[in-house]
Amino acid sequence: MIAEALPGAEVEVIDETGGGDHLRAIVRAPQFEGKSRIDQHRMVRAAVQERMDDGSIHALSIQTTPA
Amino acid sequence: MPANPELKQKVEEVLHENRVLLFMKGTPEMPRCGFSMRVVGVLEQMGTEYGAIDVLPILDPLREVTGEIADWRTFPQLYVNGELVGGCDIVEEMAESGELAELLGVEQPEGAAAQAEPEGASNPQQSPPLQVDGT
Repeated sequence: MIAEALPGAEVEVIDETGGGDHLRAIVRAPQFEGKSRIDQHRMVRAAVQERMDDGSIHALSIQTTPA
Repeated sequence: MPANPELKQKVEEVLHENRVLLFMKGTPEMPRCGFSMRVVGVLEQMGTEYGAIDVLPILDPLREVTGEIADWRTFPQLYVNGELVGGCDIVEEMAESGELAELLGVEQPEGAAAQAEPEGASNPQQSPPLQVDGT
């Protein structure tokens, strides 16, 4: 979902508990260039907002790097 | 669902009154989520004064308010000077890089606090709970 929202991004998603609801997303994307950390995180969150809204993702840790 | 205007106003007041404000699950003395606990740990290490609001009693209405104010709906949330800094990930990254110390106007602490804490280092103020009337 993240890769679709951010074309050209390298995305790695790790399931921290094995239950599918505590995830860590590591994203490197050119779209992050020049943006504050919080804006970078907002972009990742927006991509998975549906899953956060319906509760299937309980916790999402995000690490972002501009490409 | 629009944000409760009364709650939004109270939140804005609280942000105005506290230079550093943490919305967290639970209290600094008794955090109720791992991420909230970690942010408290970082703030304690920084030795800065901060206000703390327990979001659990008002979770859903508060998500709407912070969604409107800062486009962010999950907790913990750290605000400095009325602006959202971020959640646990961002706070920890900035703590490590020295950006957080700079933002708070404190000295970068050296690694994990293994030594005895300096006197009067931290003084979290538990703000009174934000009431939501007649929701």
